Amino acid sequence: MRFDRPDAYWKKDVALFFSRRFALLLKMLYPVAIIVPVAASGMPAKYAAAVIGIVAVMAGTFGAGESLTIDLNDGILARVALTPLSPYRIVFEVLAVNAVLDLLQLLPALLIVYLLHPVPLIWVLAATLAVFATLVTANCIGIFIANFTSSPADVLLYATAILFPLIYVSGFFRNQNPTGILETIRGFIPFAYANDALKTVFGLSTNTTPLEILVYPTIICAALAFAVCLTAPRLLSQRP
Amino acid sequence: MRPTTVPYGERYNSRYMKPDPVYTRSALEAKNVRRLYKSSGRGISDVSLSVAPGEVYGLMGPNGSGKSTLLRVLSTAIAPDSGTFCVGGTDGLAEKREVRARMGLMVDRPTHYGDLTGMANAYFFARAYGMEEAKAEGVLSELFDYFDLTEYADDKVKTYSYGMSKKLALIEALAHGPEVLLLDEPSLGLDYTSQLAYQRRIRDLSDDGVAVLLASNQVDEVESLCDRAAFLHRGKLLAEGTPEELISSVEGVRRIVATLRNPVEYGPIAEVGGVQRIVPEGRDLVFHCDERPGIVADVVAGIVRTSGDIVNLSVERPNLEDVFVKLTGEALRDEV
Repeated sequence: MRFDRPDAYWKKDVALFFSRRFALLLKMLYPVAIIVPVAASGMPAKYAAAVIGIVAVMAGTFGAGESLTIDLNDGILARVALTPLSPYRIVFEVLAVNAVLDLLQLLPALLIVYLLHPVPLIWVLAATLAVFATLVTANCIGIFIANFTSSPADVLLYATAILFPLIYVSGFFRNQNPTGILETIRGFIPFAYANDALKTVFGLSTNTTPLEILVYPTIICAALAFAVCLTAPRLLSQRP
Repeated sequence: MRPTTVPYGERYNSRYMKPDPVYTRSALEAKNVRRLYKSSGRGISDVSLSVAPGEVYGLMGPNGSGKSTLLRVLSTAIAPDSGTFCVGGTDGLAEKREVRARMGLMVDRPTHYGDLTGMANAYFFARAYGMEEAKAEGVLSELFDYFDLTEYADDKVKTYSYGMSKKLALIEALAHGPEVLLLDEPSLGLDYTSQLAYQRRIRDLSDDGVAVLLASNQVDEVESLCDRAAFLHRGKLLAEGTPEELISSVEGVRRIVATLRNPVEYGPIAEVGGVQRIVPEGRDLVFHCDERPGIVADVVAGIVRTSGDIVNLSVERPNLEDVFVKLTGEALRDEV
């Protein structure tokens, strides 16, 4: 597999990811720089879990949203959209490769967390998958936002408006034990499952089981990915 | 409006196009295409044109005339408000992906992935158009060599000059062997050698049956390269024909080109009887004049009166720019 001659959209993104070495170094280091001190500090579990969740949400949303907005403004994405490639496939590849690359950035920090806070393997798997689901969801939000934004500053504004309520409902900081409609809504937000899994990793028990964490976010992410791919014709259309 | 019937016979640029059954059908055909931008009300309306296989069709018009809008519609980038178009008989509205596969496209502002190499960019597009790995490698290698980019093939595109980016965009448009080429200002920014190479390539492709729609305001380029040309003005197709036919419609017009050492006030010269327009082209002033006895002397006298120091003066035959001036009363390029 050659990335210096990309023959697919996702390979092009991988090639770009590794082509900017200084940026790559920063991308790989900043999750470690934020998460490892938190994990090693003895901070209360709910806050330590929240920090990792926030890092994942921000990395996913701003990564996809900003890079897409820049590519759209450059006109390069509109040019790619004029090839015979399916626009739905392009958007799916944008989503998938960004989520995987984001996970790659977070993985070293997560592995250090698991070393510092050993838990049964099932919880390691559940937490890792839940973080990945968070990244997929965040990237879906970033791609959705890119349908309406014309600059990276717009991405920040729109993302804040969408993410704040989701973070609140997920119980990262407040609303830890929601009831009624909030509890129901929480069940549909993948961030909440990541939060619960990470709380467990840090030693705080929750009512969510590993099976729920493995199954529900996967189904929700699949639905979100499908929905965001439907925006492809609009997203890839030429901006005036 | 000056509609013309176009015979596919003797070419204006002296190349001979043999009568061929293939010319009986269009490679690219647009019918009554209309696309107006809601914000400005500008765009194109009721544009119909047809480009035969092997034909090079020039599209000329000033900025804002609708050339790029028409190319956007025909490249499937934007949908028309009404009208239809076909590429090789395939409906451009219903079968977008098939139409895209048949076309090579060079937009007016070429964009690339700056952090990828030139070859990586070209390879990505070649594969996106469905080329097989070995074929893509071979064709791209030949094209990079042809356009003198081999030395820079493995450099990141962000280090490329504007001209090199344009050449890369041409390579991306040509690599997959399209049936129809849509080129928006392809030679703008190319050095002289690259312009010749590009024109030679277009002629070769045309001989091989590729239809080319070329949007350009480079009069020399359109006259030398195109079998037919058309003018767009305020979104409407004004006239169509071979360059020779179009130019023959402006008998009675003189084109006086004066190279000046110093800039002058144009106003008084525009008052000279018979001067229709004055258009600056670099250090030259181009006067579009009625043909009458003494017009050259009057123009020279006008320049001298405004303290203009003439370095060179020539009286040329009319060109497509003069045709546009006659048709619209406006200049094709920036006017004084």
